[in-house]
Amino acid sequence: MSSEPSARPRRYLAVWFPWLPSDRLRRQEQRADAPPEDAPPVVLAEKIKGALRLAAVDPAAARAGLTPGLALADARARSPALRVVAHRPDLDDALLGRVLEDFGRFTPMIALDPPHGLILDVTGCAHLFGGETGLMRTVQARAERAGLKIRCALAATPQVARALARFGPGGRFEPGQDRAAARRLPVAALELSDKEDEALRRLGLKRLGDLDDRPHAPLAARFGADFPTRLARVLGDEDMRITPHRPPAPVVVDRIFFEPISAPEDVERVLSDLLVETMDRLDQTGLGGRAFEAGFYRVDGETRRIVVRTGRPTRDTPATLRLFSERMAALAAPLDPGFGFDQMRMSVPWTQVLAPAQQGLERETPGEEAFSRLVDRLTARLGPEAVLRFEPFASHIPERAARLVPAAVRHGDETWPDLDPDDPPLRPLQMFDPPQPVETLAEVPDGYPLKFRWRRVLHEVTRAEGPERISGEWWRAPNQRTRDYYRVEDRDGRRFWLFRQGLYGETPEPRWFIHGLFA
Amino acid sequence: MRRLDPCGAYAELATASNFSFLRGASHPKDLVLTAIQRGHAGLGLADRNTVAGVVRAWSALKEIRVEGLAPPDRMRDGGSPGEIAFIEDPLNDPALSEEVKRRAADFRLLTGTRLVFNDGTPDVIAYPETRAGWGRLTRLLTLGNRRARKGECEIGLRDLLADPEELMLILVPPNRLTGLEEVLLRMTEAAPGAVWLGAALHRRGDDRRRLARLKAMAERVDVRLLALNDILYATPDDRDLQDVLTCIREGATIETTGRRLEANAERWLKPEDEMARLFKDAPEAVAETTAFLSRATFDLSNLKYEYPEEPVPPEWEPQSWLEELVRRRTLVRYPDGAPPKVATLLNRELEFIAERSLAPYFLTIHDIVRTAENKGILCQGRGSAANSAVCYVLGITSVDPARHDLLFERFLSSNRDEPPDIDVDFEHERREEIIQYVYDRYGRHRAGIAATVIRYRPRSAIREVGKVLGLTEDVTARLASTQWGSWGSEISGRQIEQAGLDAANPMVDRAVRMATRLLDFPRHLSQHVGGFVLTQGRLDETVPIGNAAMPDRTFIEWDKDDIDALGLMKVDVLALGMLTCIRKAFDLMKAHSGVEHDLASVPPEEAEVYDMLCRGQSIGVFQVESRAQINMLPRLKPREFYDLVIQVAIVRPGPIQGDMVHPYLRRRNGVEKVHYPPPGRLYGPPDELKQVLHRTLGVPLFQEQAMKVAMVAARFTDAEANGLRKAMGTFRGDGTLHTYEDRMVGRMIARGYDPDFARRCFEQIKGFGSYGFPESHAASFARLVYVSSWIKHRHPAAFACALLNSQPMGFYAPAQIVREAQEVGGVEVRAIDVSHSDWDNSLEGPEKVPILRLGLRQIDGFKEDWAKALSAARAAAPFADVETLARRAELPAAAMRKLADADAFRSLGQDRRQALWAVRRLPDDDPLPLFAAAEARERGARELGAEPDAHLPLMPLGEHVAADYQTARLSLKAHPMAILRPVFAAERVLTCAETEAKRGGSLVQVAGVVLVRQRPGKGNAVFVTLEDETGITNVVLWARMLDQYRREIMGARLMQIEGLVEKSPEGVVHVVARHVIDRSAELSRLSEDHETNVQLARADIIAHPQPPRHPPHRHPRDVRILPGSRDFH
Repeated sequence: MSSEPSARPRRYLAVWFPWLPSDRLRRQEQRADAPPEDAPPVVLAEKIKGALRLAAVDPAAARAGLTPGLALADARARSPALRVVAHRPDLDDALLGRVLEDFGRFTPMIALDPPHGLILDVTGCAHLFGGETGLMRTVQARAERAGLKIRCALAATPQVARALARFGPGGRFEPGQDRAAARRLPVAALELSDKEDEALRRLGLKRLGDLDDRPHAPLAARFGADFPTRLARVLGDEDMRITPHRPPAPVVVDRIFFEPISAPEDVERVLSDLLVETMDRLDQTGLGGRAFEAGFYRVDGETRRIVVRTGRPTRDTPATLRLFSERMAALAAPLDPGFGFDQMRMSVPWTQVLAPAQQGLERETPGEEAFSRLVDRLTARLGPEAVLRFEPFASHIPERAARLVPAAVRHGDETWPDLDPDDPPLRPLQMFDPPQPVETLAEVPDGYPLKFRWRRVLHEVTRAEGPERISGEWWRAPNQRTRDYYRVEDRDGRRFWLFRQGLYGETPEPRWFIHGLFA
Repeated sequence: MRRLDPCGAYAELATASNFSFLRGASHPKDLVLTAIQRGHAGLGLADRNTVAGVVRAWSALKEIRVEGLAPPDRMRDGGSPGEIAFIEDPLNDPALSEEVKRRAADFRLLTGTRLVFNDGTPDVIAYPETRAGWGRLTRLLTLGNRRARKGECEIGLRDLLADPEELMLILVPPNRLTGLEEVLLRMTEAAPGAVWLGAALHRRGDDRRRLARLKAMAERVDVRLLALNDILYATPDDRDLQDVLTCIREGATIETTGRRLEANAERWLKPEDEMARLFKDAPEAVAETTAFLSRATFDLSNLKYEYPEEPVPPEWEPQSWLEELVRRRTLVRYPDGAPPKVATLLNRELEFIAERSLAPYFLTIHDIVRTAENKGILCQGRGSAANSAVCYVLGITSVDPARHDLLFERFLSSNRDEPPDIDVDFEHERREEIIQYVYDRYGRHRAGIAATVIRYRPRSAIREVGKVLGLTEDVTARLASTQWGSWGSEISGRQIEQAGLDAANPMVDRAVRMATRLLDFPRHLSQHVGGFVLTQGRLDETVPIGNAAMPDRTFIEWDKDDIDALGLMKVDVLALGMLTCIRKAFDLMKAHSGVEHDLASVPPEEAEVYDMLCRGQSIGVFQVESRAQINMLPRLKPREFYDLVIQVAIVRPGPIQGDMVHPYLRRRNGVEKVHYPPPGRLYGPPDELKQVLHRTLGVPLFQEQAMKVAMVAARFTDAEANGLRKAMGTFRGDGTLHTYEDRMVGRMIARGYDPDFARRCFEQIKGFGSYGFPESHAASFARLVYVSSWIKHRHPAAFACALLNSQPMGFYAPAQIVREAQEVGGVEVRAIDVSHSDWDNSLEGPEKVPILRLGLRQIDGFKEDWAKALSAARAAAPFADVETLARRAELPAAAMRKLADADAFRSLGQDRRQALWAVRRLPDDDPLPLFAAAEARERGARELGAEPDAHLPLMPLGEHVAADYQTARLSLKAHPMAILRPVFAAERVLTCAETEAKRGGSLVQVAGVVLVRQRPGKGNAVFVTLEDETGITNVVLWARMLDQYRREIMGARLMQIEGLVEKSPEGVVHVVARHVIDRSAELSRLSEDHETNVQLARADIIAHPQPPRHPPHRHPRDVRILPGSRDFH
């Protein structure tokens, strides 16, 4: 920011979103219309020092006397019908960011004005929208269409506009009018700390005018040297320009050709050059790319974008280039250069920190790295849904104890069971899904099957071990039956994994199943 | 009906109760009962590195041997002594009780611990073989506890093997058997012949293979194999609860805990035949369990108690020394000699004490009380033994037996098995001195603080279960908040719906059912507030000692009930705020008016003191200052000490729910005739019941009386009365109470009582239920009621001053205390002022009629150090102006601002606003030393610098009052309602005084500041007390209005009520509300500039939203003009 006085009078529009969190919530739930009269009040709560407190409220909640800062329990006691939603300031900020981009249509000089506000330098822009009144109407209309309630004020400095929007009635103030309006504002408009604010009110100095009328030196002696400056700003005696918002530049590398190119080897070479430069830039910032987007701009104005993703952040040019080649080879609609590309662009929409790895002195560590590269290549070629691997899952139930997940997804914290290397395997290599019913002859109550018939073949059991008893997961379904698993070997030396579902004496009668084969 | 398993020869020796915190899923007593029902020969209870649960199991077994039923659960159900609910054990089956009793006779309970090592060694279960072994075990645990943080225990195998004599050790094999043999070898070397190898088969698939390997290993090392089931719960049904406990322990939800849960439900107390079948490859392992049982001879009853010797001088026997002390002290208490009645009583009590060898107990208490006396700390004993003439003479209590004879029978008639019971309350600010004295006198190795078992209460249970079952935080918070007040321990469907949740929702329903099962489970041990155990020998050879969270505090693993059950001596050193207040009042009276008093010397039975109480003017008085008590006072009209005993006891859930209050009041006020029906002429004296009930006009108000009625009128034996007491408390659904009813009513009729009367007697006892306020506690409390009332009446300024200086305590805010002093005591109260106030509130002015000067402690956030500095600087010379004050007292800017905010500069000619303006000019903070000189120069310069007059607007009265409330929570300038009166008067809203004067039945509008909102007992009504400049109004809101006016009731600080005036014959006025309006917004008028421009439209928050001014975590008090009232939630 700079505080140089401007050459010609400037005009600022402050936009304040008093109900941003609840408006955002309603938008999210796609109920743009006003809530019905009897809808329960909505509050957004967050945990502060172990207690749930209100972070924001909607108008209905405010009408019910609920204010931000109130403990949720107290709020609940006052209106039991309350609807409580988790406070998501990140989503609020994201929405405000989108509004900011959209309001960029009014002026490029636009900035966030936290909390929950925007400030627009509309000097010289108003005529495009039918004058200042027309501009304000348009802003109001756009906000309403987005389901957001706003209060805005147009004045000669950003500070006055902000103060009038938030602490005053809002509206348009001609140059010269705004100072008088600001003088009527409460001292809260100075946005001092609560203590100072209270001190001013205790002193009987309740409006900005009360302060303005008094000599400034004694005030500075009491409320700090910068107090008169602050007052001057809010009264519009001093202007502070805004620093316009610009979206952060992602890593983007462009090549513009005088002669359009179309030969595949040319395209590949340019891709390679672009990647080298991109990786250099990433290296300088200590980042690695998780996704790379190649943009192909045809002379006729058509654009084609190809994205590759990697399982871990990378700055490896050959590997990434290979991913592009594989991806391009596997494209359903091949890359068509038409009359040639006149521009190619490499951008990295997704980056992650990638610390430079210490190279081993003795030898490269194989395994993880190479495996991950393979997974990347397969995924690039076949798509993420096609390359899967097993992941352990927290359950005793055999068919739930492992599940398939896309190989590129990082695995969770769960680990495979740690088995005693001296013991024989307790789980078969092959498991049937679903288990297949068998007829058995078994000892009661929990003996192993002496004989069983599976796929019409009768197997006589010679050896068996068990039971391994696994109870149902009561929290998932109340009546899951307990299973007794047996490892058995028949006369021919074939080994099976059988289980009895249910215990003897229960109704319905227990049933037997084969669940897998050991060998 | 439950089946009893055949009786056999197996005993489970690896049992975890729920004192293996968050692991075991059954109460110790349930394990014992289940083991007996299963026909086991015994049970070994071994929790993880603790013996905290063994006494429960042991006393349960004792009870089962007598009753055939496990004892009921005791749950605290209120804040005062005796407010306890008994919950029947669901495992009990009266139909089987005879068989259970028979089996229990031979049942053996081993008490030991499961040692979980920190060095990777597999767990070892240790049982003491003898008393010496027990001492070794507890010392081992003490060693581990003292090394670790609170709640943990660090022991290695080396610690165990250093001295394992007379311990029996069972090695529990882990999942992998690799390396187990080496451990076994080391153990057999250190403890030959006392090591067993445990084997537990949990159907993991490889059970037989595993058993064979263990058997082979046992043979190689030459130890015996012992069958275990390593159980976590009594019955397989409890597996889900155990899963939930595991999740709580792991801090994970049930969905993600997965393999950390047990795979199956096998770890329960299996019947003998099932165990035999499991171990059919090694039947000797099952047989070994009973051999193990018979080898261990130790039983907790071996813990023979020896009283400490300190209080007895050498060459004296405890009894003779007690008699000598009583003789000497009698002359002090009764300078003219003890009245004959007291002398007789003393002799009888001393005989009784001798008979039960209780002299050392009395001497120890006396020793502690004497120490307090020497240090000038007030104390007062209570409890059955405290109400004895001996205790009065020894100065343990100040309730004089010469005046209140009948109370004192209680001690002599107490049950022979009951341990003596004396709790001593000390001034709460100085109790720590007494605790340190006890530690010093007996040493830490002989004195320990008892534990308190922290248990799952409804809130904590639902919160943790909800988390485990994956309910959102919001839903669990909502379920947890369904409790109104602290009554009741079950979460009912109605309460769930009240929270806006669907009780039929399976998730919520499951969470609530699971939480209900978790209720009362121990969560961890904490130290008791002041219960000491003293021993003659080493305490750590009786019970393990562990570290408390407070530094230098240690506590034992057993709680008060355990200590009682074992008959160890405990001394309760408790804290009582009112004693601090009384001490401060005595000190003030002495310093200002030269009147000297102690608890016993306060003149008894002054009629004017009772007059004051009868008017309901009891704000600040001990125990009788709650709204309910204040309303009761004019009805009960206490005229003598015993009336106060009743007053204290009657406003309790017991008498209220048992509907004793109205019959008593009717009889007392002569509306109903007092009548004691006689038995038949042949069967006893016609006034036999009169002796029991005449003090309470024939209505049993104390639990003791209920028992007495049964014993006298129905000739119940001691044992029968005990049974009745239990049956009464637990509402056994099985008809136990019914049998007592038949017995009692039948016998009364047989003895010639009117059948109708007999039935009513029993109904009364039934209604009395489980709540009973013991008369002995009530009596000690009543004395403090009288003393505090006396001070309040005779020395109102000193009383208010002491009460303010003892805050926080009692029921009311400073504003009400000050107002009561002004209006009831006629005390002049002066505002906080830098030229007169010290930290504490103080007395000034004439000796006879002191004036109360408010102290700096009343200013929110003011520090004691600042006040000391201010007083010291003022003592040198009075202050001339704000700047010299700041300089001489060296107060920081923050302190000066608080003084100015509190309007404390009036004596220097500056009102709040001027002072604030002046104070704000002072430099901001303490300068660094380097800049101090420059700063001093600057200050000097500033002193000289003249400023133009700021022409600050004059602060209106309303704003002054609002600021007074914000800074000191009270205002001497005016009541906020007085300033708002024009607004309300224009609306024809009455003052409290006008409402009081209305006739019963009138429809009124009344408004006031909300003082208290309460929802007592079953919660059919909410009581709100409103206050304005003329007095108070009590409002009754029926529960059905609560839903409609919830927001107003919960949120309003200024409330307007439309309702009907209701007047009781005693002149107690209530307004029964019909409409409630929240007028809190009017309070903002106080601090607005324009009172003249009173408009009724309120600022509409919706039309004109304002950015939230306050960070969300700000204390609500700071933004309120009035402090919040006392709430019921």
